[in-house]
Amino acid sequence: MSENVLELKNITMKFGGVTALNEVNLVVKKGEILALIGPNGAGKTTVFNVITGVYKPTSGDVVFQGESIVGKKRFKITKLGIARTFQNIRLFGESSALENVVTGADVHSKTGVVGSIFGTPRSRREEKANLERALELLDFMGIKKRAGQLGKNLPYGDQRRLEIARALATNPKLLLLDEPAAGFNPAEKVALAETIKKIRDAGYTVLLIEHDMSLIMGVSDRVAVLDFGTKIADGSTTEVQNDPRVIEAYLGAPADAS
Amino acid sequence: MANLKSSLNLRDKGAEYWERSPKWRRVALAIFFIAICYALPFLNNPLVNTPGSDFQSVLFYPVGMYVLMAIGLNIVVGKSGLLDLGYVAFFAIGAYTMAILGTKTSLNFWEILPIGVGLAMLSGVLLGTPTLRLRGDYLAIVTLGFGEIVRIFAVNTDAIGGSRGIAGIPTPPDVFNAKFTILDPKPYYWMLLTFTLLIIWMVRRMAARRPGRAWDAIRQDDDVAQLMGINTRKYKVWAFVLGAAVAGVGGVVYASQILSIVPDQFNLNISILILACVVFGGIGNVWGVILGAVLLAFTPERIRFLSQPRILVFGIALVVMMNLRPDGILPKKKREHFDPDWHTVEESGEGEIK
Ligand SMILES: Nc1ncnc2c1ncn2[C@@H]1O[C@H](COP(=O)(O)OP(=O)(O)OP(=O)(O)O)[C@@H](O)[C@H]1O
Ligand SMILES: [Mg+2]
Repeated sequence: MSENVLELKNITMKFGGVTALNEVNLVVKKGEILALIGPNGAGKTTVFNVITGVYKPTSGDVVFQGESIVGKKRFKITKLGIARTFQNIRLFGESSALENVVTGADVHSKTGVVGSIFGTPRSRREEKANLERALELLDFMGIKKRAGQLGKNLPYGDQRRLEIARALATNPKLLLLDEPAAGFNPAEKVALAETIKKIRDAGYTVLLIEHDMSLIMGVSDRVAVLDFGTKIADGSTTEVQNDPRVIEAYLGAPADAS
Repeated sequence: MANLKSSLNLRDKGAEYWERSPKWRRVALAIFFIAICYALPFLNNPLVNTPGSDFQSVLFYPVGMYVLMAIGLNIVVGKSGLLDLGYVAFFAIGAYTMAILGTKTSLNFWEILPIGVGLAMLSGVLLGTPTLRLRGDYLAIVTLGFGEIVRIFAVNTDAIGGSRGIAGIPTPPDVFNAKFTILDPKPYYWMLLTFTLLIIWMVRRMAARRPGRAWDAIRQDDDVAQLMGINTRKYKVWAFVLGAAVAGVGGVVYASQILSIVPDQFNLNISILILACVVFGGIGNVWGVILGAVLLAFTPERIRFLSQPRILVFGIALVVMMNLRPDGILPKKKREHFDPDWHTVEESGEGEIK
């Protein structure tokens, strides 16, 4: 039996009059890459915001590893094991690439302010371990040579890669990637797809928002489709590809329905 | 033009020199500068002496005291990006602790010091916990109010002297041969310098480690900091409390030197001036902040002979400076660090993760 890492149960999210999500149910299974797709404004990013505690859903429940996380503080949710990247890159631009990633790796450190001032053995150990982990992740993402550069000065593509490294540094049980290939050329997309598969193979579970169909078909184990805040399909890539409602959502309503 | 500008960039030059220096040279330089700081009271140079006030006293107050407080406020404003306009309150709490316990109990300076610092920290927690959820302007207003409340409370509380304040505060007991008396500001200056060096050392350690990264993250993007697993409330309160502790040290030392305090010494001007030191020197960079505090504290004393117009002259100088260097004299600018090794690393993307 495959275990569910995350379950969204009847999630509704309203912003004033706008219903961004309407009774959405979604299951992410351990060790899979689940793609979340849908036209612009479908509510994909809102799903991430609800999962990570940026928004509290109007109704419904988010269950992570058997525990409801609705209403939990954002940093606690991250500590529990959910990390994300951002559709419009949000790095710490004035910090170096390395510092960005170490900041993520700090999540599970036990040393606080006092330990850092006095440089306790544990503080030294953790600083060293986090630094090594960060370098390892920069290397994994292929941007180790950027380590000393400020986040804001990295080329666009490397900024996206750095965001993934920073999220991975928190050791997430569930990694949320919001359009990580946006603005990439085809070759870069292929490389990123490989990276995402490697991340899954290393034991992480990935929920991926993406617009590029070939990338999605290439990497995902399953696909869920949102349209106007409602989940209209959920299944294997072939099932979803042939689903009439999906085709309709993407190609527009057939003439007789309007 | 750009070349000329960069060749004049002393900050980067200095920082580069420091980074390229082997360890022995760094230690030697550090010892050299520290020795100069300790020897400053014996400096009798017509360029830096202060006609109109005693140079050795000026070194203790305002120069040394402003430096200490600016370093403390920089933790709050510079590192974590919280605008605190009531910083003087923690200075006052330290000073009043020294004054009250020094006159009413038999505790001496060294016993009162940790109590004063502790009370300043406690008030930092009490003020910080509820208010640090506020952002920007709102926090500034609340802290401004707090600074005023502490002063007004002191004015209106007869048990602690009301507006007449407290007189007869004892001086610290002798340390080795150094006698702390009202007549000789040197030992006070040396004590203050020692505390300041200790605090700089602590701040630098924090800044390079986890708390420093957390504050950097919070200052740059509070929401993302939370999403990266940082308990932003906790780290903000810590910044507040550490800033309060530094001001508390300043307050206790100050009261033990000046022998009598009145509430009106702890007015809004001090908070603003210390903030000006931080901004003028270069927010976030401890060396810039120190330089800013030295200049802002020293200049008005140096030009005291101008009597009335001196504050005007000082103000104009400030405005001109801030126009020339809007980020402060020695701004925090992270030089990008290129380790030659990193250049040779193949961009393989082949690494493995666990
Ligand atoms: N904070 C908010 N306040 C008001 N409306 C919001 C807010 N966040 C999202 N929305 C609305 O919710 C809907 C879904 O937005 P969302 O960003 O989740 O879409 P998306 O699927 O990520 O789209 P895209 O592909 O363009 O990124 C949109 O209509 C958007 O305007
Ligand atoms: Mg989106």
